[in-house]
Amino acid sequence: MKHLSKLLVASAFLAAPLSTAFAGETLDRIMDAGSIKVSTDPNWPPQSFLNDDNDFDGFDVDVAREIAKRMGVEVEFVTPSWDIITAGNWNGRWDMSVGSMTPTKERAKVLSFPAVYYYTPASFAVHNDSTATKLSDLDGKVVGASTASTFDLYLRHDLTIDAEGAPAFEYQVKAGEIKNFESSTVGFDDLRLGDGVRLSGMVTSLPSIMEAIANDYPVKVLGEPAFYEPLSVAIDLGDDELGAKIADAVAAMREDGTLKAMSEKWYGVDYTSAN
Amino acid sequence: MSNTATNPIIEIKDLNKWYGDFHALTDINLSVNLGERIVICGPSGSGKSTLIRCINRLEAHQKGLLQVDGIEVHDRMKNVEKLRADVGMVFQHFNLFPHMTILDNCTAAPRYVLGQDQQTAEAKAMELLERVKIPQQANKFPSQLSGGQQQRVAIARSLCMDPSIMLFDEPTSALDPEMVSEVLDTMVDLAQSGMTMLGVTHEMGFARKVADRVIFMDEGKIVEENDPETFFTKPKHPRTIDFLSQILQH
Amino acid sequence: MYQDTVVEDKLLHKPAFLAGLFAIAFIVAYYMDFSQGLIGHLLSPVHGTPEESGVLGRFNSAFFVALLFTLNLFAISFLPFRQQVLVVWLELLALFLGFFFTFDLSMEFIQKKIWFMISKGLATTLYISAISITIATVLALIGAVAKLSSNGFAYGIASFYTSFFRGVPLLMQVYLIYLGMPQMGFVIDAVPAGILALSLCYGAYMTEIFRAGIQSIGQGQWEGARALGFGFGQMMRRIILPQSIPLIIPPTGNQFIAMLKDSTLVSTIGVIELMFLARTLGNKTFNHMEMLITAALIYWLLSIVLEVIQSRIERHYKQSTSR
Repeated sequence: MKHLSKLLVASAFLAAPLSTAFAGETLDRIMDAGSIKVSTDPNWPPQSFLNDDNDFDGFDVDVAREIAKRMGVEVEFVTPSWDIITAGNWNGRWDMSVGSMTPTKERAKVLSFPAVYYYTPASFAVHNDSTATKLSDLDGKVVGASTASTFDLYLRHDLTIDAEGAPAFEYQVKAGEIKNFESSTVGFDDLRLGDGVRLSGMVTSLPSIMEAIANDYPVKVLGEPAFYEPLSVAIDLGDDELGAKIADAVAAMREDGTLKAMSEKWYGVDYTSAN
Repeated sequence: MSNTATNPIIEIKDLNKWYGDFHALTDINLSVNLGERIVICGPSGSGKSTLIRCINRLEAHQKGLLQVDGIEVHDRMKNVEKLRADVGMVFQHFNLFPHMTILDNCTAAPRYVLGQDQQTAEAKAMELLERVKIPQQANKFPSQLSGGQQQRVAIARSLCMDPSIMLFDEPTSALDPEMVSEVLDTMVDLAQSGMTMLGVTHEMGFARKVADRVIFMDEGKIVEENDPETFFTKPKHPRTIDFLSQILQH
Repeated sequence: MYQDTVVEDKLLHKPAFLAGLFAIAFIVAYYMDFSQGLIGHLLSPVHGTPEESGVLGRFNSAFFVALLFTLNLFAISFLPFRQQVLVVWLELLALFLGFFFTFDLSMEFIQKKIWFMISKGLATTLYISAISITIATVLALIGAVAKLSSNGFAYGIASFYTSFFRGVPLLMQVYLIYLGMPQMGFVIDAVPAGILALSLCYGAYMTEIFRAGIQSIGQGQWEGARALGFGFGQMMRRIILPQSIPLIIPPTGNQFIAMLKDSTLVSTIGVIELMFLARTLGNKTFNHMEMLITAALIYWLLSIVLEVIQSRIERHYKQSTSR
């Protein structure tokens, strides 16, 4: 019996997530080390990408650097894949995600969203040859979105945006088939093959579509943005002091116009407030 | 029968062995004295190879007592490597190590089992290769040698361990006829040096020349046992007579 | 394979076969329509400019391509073996590169990035693969011995290990280790997690290779060693394994090449290796085809190098055992 109970205790111990950070623990570690680890995915120009000097660059990267600067620490970037970031339970492998993440209800179960820093319009892109003129023209067609993204959730009619200041939206497209890919660049490559060859349309952030058009992809924006997604900094659950510190930094950046300047630098427009 | 045992180095009492349901050895009793030379013969499948393979525990027996040099051989013995190091064995198919030179074949066990240094082991190996008359092949690989040469290397390899007993398991049956005599000469030479030898062979000339005793086995039993002169001239058991007539006919 | 001593007539020297080959090549070429490309231009004196040539142009260029193809094969058939191999390689390589050039790649971009891909990406790939294959070899050795042992625990653990890690996709193992280990209180970084996953997975495959290698050593060798007094460890080390190695090396070399390519999977947990850079470097400027093809060629070249090394090692062992 003694052995059995020991075994039970051990297995309960293994099953329980040991990762819950104590209040202020992550913050203390960051301040002690003098550096904050930020996850980023350099597959998303112009938010995050590797520039000509093979260094991280982009809007998200600039925002992350600025937050760190205001916290008085250095930045170190790590590059886990998107689904690993959104799975939560970071276990201190990295401390913050400045990755244009939409604070959905599902994600809020495993992550905490201290500060929304901008809002991007999510739009549909179609091939130049497409005859579609409004979003509902894509009903019943093959439409693409990157895996586990808000765009994907929108197509699946399963998107709940749970953040302050997020404008309401409605589902305007009933896709016949949803095709998922690793990043939106793959979607653009599918789309450029021709209207309806692999995709009849795809939904992604408007800035990404503008970027593709600027690089001579034969695609155009279809209709008005489907929804605006608030995009937030994310941290692991359990350290509200770190969250407060980040929220202060973002609020200050918004206040003194730094955030606006960054948005204009990367997007040519001010996306830092909805509409 | 056997000489009154003054100094038995191998003692076998009521040894039994089964392969599943097949009774391979039945109530074997045999005592071998130091310096004695024994030849075991018998038809194929009579259990003669099995018997000598039991002595260094390459085969397990299930019942009876087996003692070698005072050590009891059984399935839970702790020092089987020590026993085997002291009992040399020569196989029908030589079993030389093909990835090693002749010299390395001879020095491997002394170095890695007995812990001798390379120089000592090599000196001893060269001495024994001289004795089996192939020192010039020392740096070749086994596949470059003839069957007879390989078997002589195998004998030298065993002798490098300074064994108290040498077991031979049909050492000449896999050889081309013209190579049999060179191996037998080596064995005769060894016998004359006083080595305790226990061999399974059908070389009756060899048995006559060097054996102290000849044992005839059939169907897992020792059927007849005698000195070579009596064994060959006045065999008693009908099976022995039958067997001898068959192998001596040609 | 051992070749027969009788030489058969060459298939390519039979008129019927050549005619058939020509016919198939013609049909394929006609279907693919070469009249608008370089070949159409070359033949423009015969049938006018590519735009105006129409069916005649299509027919002419298909005929030309098929003739070139058949004559080429016919000519190659007269070369001795080694030169045949060389010419076939060079021609296929030229076709391959020609195929790449149709993508209209920016060589300038490749030149700008290739050094970074090698110094950062390839170095990480090689580093991860080399450590993983080393650990996998140790695991495989232990696994093989355990699988051959009569100990029920050892066999049970080893067979469970090989069954699980051969039966679960490597990508899933990478995730399980990276995400699962922290649940048990061990937070490991991406690189060690990747190395662990690759080692465990390839260790499982190589366990079977090692087991087969060890089993192929005949009973005589085991008995020969035992009869001389060798204990288990010394016997394995001095007698059995050295003889298994020549049998183990070819499949292990294959595993190493496979691992090199499977190491791309660790890019999903954020290890910045060759595949990761191939996917990200060209993203901003939509030059990703350039980067993917460059990375593909780097992987391929590396595999060729490894194949050469493998055949050298094989030759070395062949010489020492069967002289």
